[in-house]
Amino acid sequence: MEGCKTGDEIAIQVQDVKKSFRLYYDKGHTIKDKALHRGRRQYHVSEILKGISFAVKKGEALGLVGHNGCGKSTLLKLLTRIMYPDGGSIVLNGRVSSLLELGAGFHPDMSGRENIYINASIFGLGRKEIDQRIGRIIEFSELEEFIDNPVRTYSSGMYMRLAFSVAINVNADILLIDEILAVGDVNFQAKCFRRLMEIKGAGTTIVLVSHSTAQIERICDRSIWIQDGLVKKEGSPADVHREYLDYMARQREDAMGAAQAETARDTGKDASREKQACHMHMRKSIPQDGQEKNHPVEIVSAVLKDADDKKRVVFRLGETVRLELELNALARMEEYLIEINLVRADGLFCAGCSTAEDGAACSAWLGRKRLELCFSRMELLAGNYHFDLHIAKADGGTFFFGGNIAAFEVAQREPGRGIVHLNHSWIWE
Amino acid sequence: MRLAKELWEYREMVISLVKRDLKSRYKGSVLGFFWMFLNPLLQLAVYTVVFSTILRAGIEQFYLFLFVALVPWIFFNTCLSAGTTVIFSQQDMVKKIYFPREALPLSFTISQFINMLLSFAVIFLVVLLSGRGLHLRALAFLPLVMAAEFLLALGTVYFVSALNVYFRDLEHILGIVSMAWMYLTPVLYSLDMVPQQYVGLFYFNPMTAVIISYRKILYDGVPPHMDTLLGSLAVGAAVLLAGQAVFGRLQRHFAEEL
Repeated sequence: MEGCKTGDEIAIQVQDVKKSFRLYYDKGHTIKDKALHRGRRQYHVSEILKGISFAVKKGEALGLVGHNGCGKSTLLKLLTRIMYPDGGSIVLNGRVSSLLELGAGFHPDMSGRENIYINASIFGLGRKEIDQRIGRIIEFSELEEFIDNPVRTYSSGMYMRLAFSVAINVNADILLIDEILAVGDVNFQAKCFRRLMEIKGAGTTIVLVSHSTAQIERICDRSIWIQDGLVKKEGSPADVHREYLDYMARQREDAMGAAQAETARDTGKDASREKQACHMHMRKSIPQDGQEKNHPVEIVSAVLKDADDKKRVVFRLGETVRLELELNALARMEEYLIEINLVRADGLFCAGCSTAEDGAACSAWLGRKRLELCFSRMELLAGNYHFDLHIAKADGGTFFFGGNIAAFEVAQREPGRGIVHLNHSWIWE
Repeated sequence: MRLAKELWEYREMVISLVKRDLKSRYKGSVLGFFWMFLNPLLQLAVYTVVFSTILRAGIEQFYLFLFVALVPWIFFNTCLSAGTTVIFSQQDMVKKIYFPREALPLSFTISQFINMLLSFAVIFLVVLLSGRGLHLRALAFLPLVMAAEFLLALGTVYFVSALNVYFRDLEHILGIVSMAWMYLTPVLYSLDMVPQQYVGLFYFNPMTAVIISYRKILYDGVPPHMDTLLGSLAVGAAVLLAGQAVFGRLQRHFAEEL
């Protein structure tokens, strides 16, 4: 497409490729099954790719993104020629190597060196070509001392390092990669990444499938978002990924919204019984502290909203998060303070807000009461979080504790490092 | 032609797989390598005891008569029965990497063939010890007979390895088939012992001509009949082409079926 305009050489030309799978409910694999149970062999045809076209220029790096099951791995298998398309055509110019399976053909009883020869030959290298590369492969794997030991004596990390070193040193014209840059320790990963950049620099065409959009952005010139078997968007990785991640966040929001609506509906059906149960539950949840039984508090609702007063469960960095609570005190509450803790899903305590510390007034109250806690700029990095509510006595005891009263997710393109984003700037002197 | 060219490009893969197969057979155990010789020798001992002392077949030097046919039969039989799992047992590779799928049956057959060649060292020794001697004029035809059997075996491996992906019980069915096939091939007896009206039928079995030719060369010490030999070469080539065609069609869906 783009390539044709500029007249550059095309490495991969995919034209209207279609692929469906027959999904059997109960598939027989034996002659007996196939002969006797013909009726049982029902299937439905699932169309994975519905007509995909794109072209990759020589030396270009292309990223494929999409949710699980969108067809990107199938597409990669078609490109690798492991599977054949039902319709359309795929033209590949040059030697193709794929990093889909590492360590193919490895034999545990043979030495690392022998296995390099086997593995590399499966990638289509000739003896001379392997002889030329073997030094580099061994050096890359950092297994010089162990290279003549049988592979069965290797740790799994060493095994993967050897396998990856072979695959990445094949020097193909077209390199297809599926999510495997997570080999070895951090240093080895960095090295693989550098090697990949070198390979790219040397003019190899790369197609990378990854869930890490950040990885694609670092390597690829272009990104294709595949959605339901079709190309949804194509363009610079930054543009494509912004839309893709927004879409994914909306998806999650919808899914969570639907789940919440369901619970809400159920609650509405027999609200009184539910309330009773809830009440009981809260009473029960305190008995560790025993004496608080007499001051139960109910949470009537706990909702997260954004600055526009819209209910939300997925937020982005920098947005306003408002926790709206409606509480019901069954006994008169006096001399209390409220603490709301923000906790990450793995249990990390991120932040605590206390009415006492913030000097927010807590007047005596009975019956229903609304409370809002507002974070005008939420600076947490991507992850799942929830709020815990603690209503404490002024003297340190507990009136009420509710764990995970409201949960939300922070969706971000970059997972980021650490817990929060702190506003910062760089200054050179 | 395209296939031949591609297999040539991947010749290093075929060579490595053959080497891996042969090496792995004797690595790990001291006796391992000798099993390759021991196995046919032990089978030979059993059959010799049964057929020259119990079920006397009345064949002179029966052990030799049997041995020169048994070794080639074992080669073909292994291809027929163990050949089924060639693709299935290497499915991780088949599902994840591109290479001409034909390389797997090919390397399997070659490694079995090399095993047979090694056993032939023992055959030559036994022939010499028997006092019958090796006749060069006859031995000159041995490579042709071996070639015919190789083509036949390779074609068979193409068939069974591809079909086994779709019908997993083929392996077990072929266990029975290979036993019946052995008794319907003149391995344990000579074709002269077959009632005249059935002899024609025996020639529908491509292994009959192969076994007869081996026996002519090594037991009788004379060149095989040219029409028998050329016939088995032609049949071998035909089976190979048919096997390749079937394999070529079926391999398109290997990755989905496995």
